[in-house]
Amino acid sequence: MSYLTAHAGQIAQLTLQHLGLVLGGLAVAIAIAAPFGILAARVPRAGTPIFSVTGILYVIPSLALLAVAVQYLGLGPAPVIFVLAAYAQFILVRNIATALANVPAAQLDAARGLGMSPSQQFWRVELPQAAPVLIGGLRLATVALIAIATLGGYVGAGGLGDDIFLGLQRKYIDQTLAGSIPAAALAVIVDALFRLLERSSRARLE
Amino acid sequence: MLLGPSGCGKSTLLRSVNRLVVPQSGTVYLDSEDTAEVDPVQLRRRIGYVIQAVGLFSHMTVADNIAVVPSLLQWDRARIAARVDELLDLVGLDAKRYRKRYPRELSGGEQQRVGVARALAAQPPVLLMDEPFGAVDAIVRASLQDEIARIAQHLHTTILFVTHDVNEALRLAERIVVMRDGRVEQYDTPLQIVSNPATPYVRQLFALDEEERRFDSLRASLAQRKT
Amino acid sequence: MTVTRKESLALIGAALVLPKCSGSGNAVRVASKNFGENIIIAEIYAAALERAGIPVQRRMNLGSTQIATAAMVRGDIDLYPEYTGTGLIDVLHLAPMRDPNKLFETVKAAYAHKYHLTWLAPSPVNDSQGLALTQALAKRLNLRTLSQCALAAPKLRLAAIPEFVTRADALPGLRKFYGGFAFADVRTFAIGLQYDALGRGDADVATAFTTDSQIDTDRLVLLRDDRHFWPPYNIAPVVRDAALRAQPQIARVLGRVSPLLTDPVVRRFNYAFNVQKADPADIAQQFVKEHLS
Repeated sequence: MSYLTAHAGQIAQLTLQHLGLVLGGLAVAIAIAAPFGILAARVPRAGTPIFSVTGILYVIPSLALLAVAVQYLGLGPAPVIFVLAAYAQFILVRNIATALANVPAAQLDAARGLGMSPSQQFWRVELPQAAPVLIGGLRLATVALIAIATLGGYVGAGGLGDDIFLGLQRKYIDQTLAGSIPAAALAVIVDALFRLLERSSRARLE
Repeated sequence: MLLGPSGCGKSTLLRSVNRLVVPQSGTVYLDSEDTAEVDPVQLRRRIGYVIQAVGLFSHMTVADNIAVVPSLLQWDRARIAARVDELLDLVGLDAKRYRKRYPRELSGGEQQRVGVARALAAQPPVLLMDEPFGAVDAIVRASLQDEIARIAQHLHTTILFVTHDVNEALRLAERIVVMRDGRVEQYDTPLQIVSNPATPYVRQLFALDEEERRFDSLRASLAQRKT
Repeated sequence: MTVTRKESLALIGAALVLPKCSGSGNAVRVASKNFGENIIIAEIYAAALERAGIPVQRRMNLGSTQIATAAMVRGDIDLYPEYTGTGLIDVLHLAPMRDPNKLFETVKAAYAHKYHLTWLAPSPVNDSQGLALTQALAKRLNLRTLSQCALAAPKLRLAAIPEFVTRADALPGLRKFYGGFAFADVRTFAIGLQYDALGRGDADVATAFTTDSQIDTDRLVLLRDDRHFWPPYNIAPVVRDAALRAQPQIARVLGRVSPLLTDPVVRRFNYAFNVQKADPADIAQQFVKEHLS
């Protein structure tokens, strides 16, 4: 633990950088996943090609994808956010599609029949009904991104990855712990927060 | 009253009134207006809609459910609140007890009463009901039927009711549209249909042959008793 | 003044992104790849430049040769230490050469023409790739050369770093050049961890770099490249033409550093980093103080 205490301030900053990368990746991921998830829910046939693409993205080794991203986006947070967003698609698109597809049909029929416009149906009925499942998906995606964001170090974007890998290289456990403990703590806290949200949104529905 | 067996097209016919279904040919007139010329969303806000599965929004309170169409029409808060209470009264639910409840806390019968209240909230001239009491048990169904009969008398709303239950039709209808396989077999008052069934199918539907036979055998047994 | 939620989000976003892409002014952006030796040498370049009064920005620990090269070509960094053999085979995809001078001239010409990057004078240190095994196992199987290993491979398990399995100047190339090398099992580990597998007995042969300190501390034997598959891997500063034009003293300053980096010197760096857990920047500062004052 000596490394952690000796570099406490630096590690706090790295943790914030790490969190920033995760949130950036999540925001971009949602912006892309939402339209595709909605499309897959509305048009079942569109689901198959969409899910194939997200599956492929998931399988590409992250470092290779990162190297490609650097060519177009340079060093810094941008290529990391690109890779994080690409990976999250696999979880989010299917999650959004499933969440929307499982909204009770009777409520949708009633919403339409009572005179809600398509966007009113979406915001007032579909989204609240889909909320617990959507939050569950966000939880999974965010925790996954916390792990992948360790790539940040590879392109000068900061984050906790540097200490983890350099520590591993030379068997300097203290340094590795200085990176992995904050990352693990982040994951645990984020997971717990999302579970709380999930529980409260589910309670409103049952 | 749209009456017929499953698959005869009665629900489809009903749903073409509020354009949830678009007819392939023919026109639907509402108040002498061609419904095809009106924005469907605006149209539906003028028509009440009650379905068998009720479809109450489980993430909203009873009051918010009922307030849906008025809030879409942007009524002011006070007016909406007053209307909610008025409607809960109308469907036989104590406003104070039920306003803040959630659908999951209500029985099937109570939920459908709220469903009816929700459909009537914006005072639509027409109310569509698609087998609304099909999902509740017989006792609750009877009391709901009484309720709707009372409401129909009280308001001046035209109700289009879909059912496959002959007794329900006879009990509630001013006029019955008997349907089979997408065609109308007869359209008349209940008395006329029973007195002058138009087709053998209509006779069989109302079990009129049986009734006649039963009547004949009763007459025969009564005649015998006389002697 | 109240800030709307949208505005605060925008500010946070900007705060995260902007510092990273701030212009360097006339600071030289020195980078390194993601292993100790490269970081230390990059820190030495940086320290030497700073001593000469040139401002420096550091972007150490970049993830791979591809990332570093892409960043150079894009102009996100100005300078980093690269190996001549890596440049030839991994970046330019040319056939291996044995003569270190010819190799250097080839790489220098190609980089200048293709990427507008300049290779400055190389150091004597030759950090080549290699295959290592414990002295005990080497004695028992009588394995001393790569040719012998190529034939014995089906009985051996290999612990490799990920790059080794895919690089043209690594396993695929070895197979083509020597034949054989059909290992019974190949498992990949993060840099540095493949030696642990050897130590635990989970592998018989491990991929190595000839300046790794583990060769001394773990008492390992490097197999001799008897047919000279691997080209020399001399380290040299690679710098962007534009940066060199802006600051021509870079060549002179680093020209004083390069001759000082020899095999024993670099192995000592690795020892300090791996075994003594010293900080790369500290190692570099120490070296520069001792040798460049």
